[in-house]
Amino acid sequence: MSAEVEETLKRIQTHKGVIGTIVVNAEGIPIRTTLDNSTTVQYAGLLHQLTMKARSTVRDLDPQNDLTFLRIRSKKHEIMVAPDKEYLLIVIQNPSE
Amino acid sequence: MSTTKAKLKKPTLKVTPSSRVMNVSTSGVLRVNHSSTYARSINASVSRKSFSLAADSKILDKSSVQTPKHTVQVFDENGKDVTPQPLYQPDPAAVMSKHSKIFASDTSGGTMSDFYSTAYQTTTNASFAGPFTRSVFGSSTVSRGSQSTMESMNEEIEDPSSKRDVSISLSDVQVRREEVKELIKEEMLDEVVDRYLIESETLWLLHMPAVSVSVDSEEAESVKERNNLYMELCKNRMGNDKYVERSMQTFNGAPKTKEVQCEAITMVDAATTATTWDMYDSFRSAGLGEAALSPDTDKASGPEIVSNHRLDPTRAPERTMSVISTTSIASASSSRIEMEPFVVPSEDEPDPELIMQSEKFQQDLFVMERVILENIYQPKLAAYRQLPTLEDPDIVPKVVPTVVSRREESSLDEESTLTPALERLWSFSCELTSGHNVSSMAWNKRNPDLLAVGYGQFDFKDQKSGLICCWSLKNPTWPERVFTCESGVTTLDFSASNASQLAVGMHDGSIATYNVESREKTPVIDSSDCAHKHTSPVWQVRWIDHERGASGEDKGETLISVSADGRISKWFLRKGLDCIGPVLPQSLKVVGNLSITLTSPCSQGPLYRITWSPFCSDVFLSCSSDWTIQLWRQDLFTPVLGFTSTQSAVYDVMWSPKWATVFGAVNEGRVEIWDLGASILDPTIVSLASPGVKLTSLLFATETDCILVGDSDGQVSVYQLKNLTVGEGTQVDALDDIIGSTLASQL
Repeated sequence: MSAEVEETLKRIQTHKGVIGTIVVNAEGIPIRTTLDNSTTVQYAGLLHQLTMKARSTVRDLDPQNDLTFLRIRSKKHEIMVAPDKEYLLIVIQNPSE
Repeated sequence: MSTTKAKLKKPTLKVTPSSRVMNVSTSGVLRVNHSSTYARSINASVSRKSFSLAADSKILDKSSVQTPKHTVQVFDENGKDVTPQPLYQPDPAAVMSKHSKIFASDTSGGTMSDFYSTAYQTTTNASFAGPFTRSVFGSSTVSRGSQSTMESMNEEIEDPSSKRDVSISLSDVQVRREEVKELIKEEMLDEVVDRYLIESETLWLLHMPAVSVSVDSEEAESVKERNNLYMELCKNRMGNDKYVERSMQTFNGAPKTKEVQCEAITMVDAATTATTWDMYDSFRSAGLGEAALSPDTDKASGPEIVSNHRLDPTRAPERTMSVISTTSIASASSSRIEMEPFVVPSEDEPDPELIMQSEKFQQDLFVMERVILENIYQPKLAAYRQLPTLEDPDIVPKVVPTVVSRREESSLDEESTLTPALERLWSFSCELTSGHNVSSMAWNKRNPDLLAVGYGQFDFKDQKSGLICCWSLKNPTWPERVFTCESGVTTLDFSASNASQLAVGMHDGSIATYNVESREKTPVIDSSDCAHKHTSPVWQVRWIDHERGASGEDKGETLISVSADGRISKWFLRKGLDCIGPVLPQSLKVVGNLSITLTSPCSQGPLYRITWSPFCSDVFLSCSSDWTIQLWRQDLFTPVLGFTSTQSAVYDVMWSPKWATVFGAVNEGRVEIWDLGASILDPTIVSLASPGVKLTSLLFATETDCILVGDSDGQVSVYQLKNLTVGEGTQVDALDDIIGSTLASQL
């Protein structure tokens, strides 16, 4: 099972335009990353807060709802976050490459 | 019990500790007063035997029964025995049965002397309360039990004893009476019992005797006399020798100052934001918690409840928030949930592994991959689905070419906008499939985005193991499912009734069905055990829907296969696939290569494909390795029309599901789209294959204008038909017209 997971992660990394893939656990410690450590830590910390805020917003509007995916499109690239209570899966992609 | 002595300010009087015993008034409120000696005696009168009695009071109760009456005696100045009698003497027999409520205040009435004086007065007027009375007491109230003791404080000492006896005897009698009553009840429950209502005696709750007396009353005279006497006394006092004024000085205790310093009280500011979801979660978990929570699961529930924060409470920056939310939960749900906000997870080391292996993570990865691919392929997919493609505003446009070339381009553009063409969108391929020959493709009947592709060689030599891949449109880079088979796959079909069932026919004659929903790599059923299985390649499998139950069969689908060994078999799904021998196809919709080759001498090579027109039910096309495509009508033994374009074997032909006059064909080097309404001599669109690659199969997409072309390198390319304008008029008529005109011209 974990082999499949590894394979998928590798495949994601090789897709067109993908700049980096980060998996951090709930404490902010990176488990898998393809970027350097400082960038990873920065992304993890900032996105963690943003995800919490987004989740809080979603749930405030309807407590039975929950956040499943978060995408931030910026000028240069797109950051996609799949949040969970135990980890954060972050992928940065530049789709126009 | 009587070891301790109470200390008093008045040295002359000592309080018997036994009186303390009697103060079993003990409700929880009065427990405080047990420490103060005054209060004890004040609160003496008794006892409500409530069940919330504290332990010490109970002990006192019991001991109260056992203590001796007077161990310490008090004498006043004259040597008189003014030992205060215990205010309550519980009758041993009646201890448990009586309910007298006492409701004494904590510091009821100042000093003991005050109390005694008031009690003194009240006892004179104490009335005898009935056996079952309840009295609510103030500082000067009297209980039933205590009136016996109160009166003991009278000057007439002999009275209390007698009265005590009376009360004792009374209580004895009462006890006996109670016993008798019980016996009666047991025997005759149904008897009519008479109840008599009588007026009880008057209860004196408070009696404050008047200080003044009416002139008319009998006592007036004596009172007046007494008053006069007293006035005389006061007058005589002035110069009398009997009365001497003396001053006294009491010793004042030496004052002492004592400083006390306590630890500084630390103040902590706490704040919380009560969000809607926080309250919702707390409420929900509180409701669940009381039902299912045990101390063992406290730990588990702790992190659950703070799961919104997505963190372990031990984390520093969010610690306060989580603590606060837990305390708010704790306060809200009071008793049961004892949260441990700082639960340290014991599985710290394998944590990353757990994450990686969790289902949720896999799911997230899956979704993430799709999202990424959507970003990449969005324009293509939009074109496929015939949606307008959006331009990404952030993409920098390419450098504009010079004027001259632009003109050329524009003219070319104009041309290309007019001519029908195939535009390549994307292709399904991955390293697994490279090198395999695409032999068949089939759309899923329920999910039109799901495509099954079978890989296998057509000819006998060079047989590799077969492969089946299920591709989703949303991920052209990796198949959703991969199944490997022993021999090359020649044909595939999805079942219509059970949309996840895929039937596969193989080069070695075996047939298998797969369940594409599950992740299993093995077929659900295999025909390898069947005795009647095919011995040569299966050219076609198809699920046929039975509309009428023939010979007692249920409505449903059966699998029919056609093979090169000359048999058409119907398969039953039992433990293994089993078949009934040669079956005449009940509806010729079953593609039978063989049945047609028997009847058509015109085609010279093996037919690769026969396909019925979805619009005209008696028209079909065939393609064969003799470089021709032929249009037949069911009733005619010769083909109506034949199409030849190149000198290469035509591997696949398929009618368009949208236009009756359009069909596509694939030969070794190119894809051709024929529109019979436009021309019956030349294909309308021709698209060349990449060099070195042979195109082997063709599939039209059902809802869009796209075709899929499989080649010998394992790629399935998706092309969009552009600018294909088909003639007016209903399609079927057009086709019929063409056929009709052709036939007419042949005559």
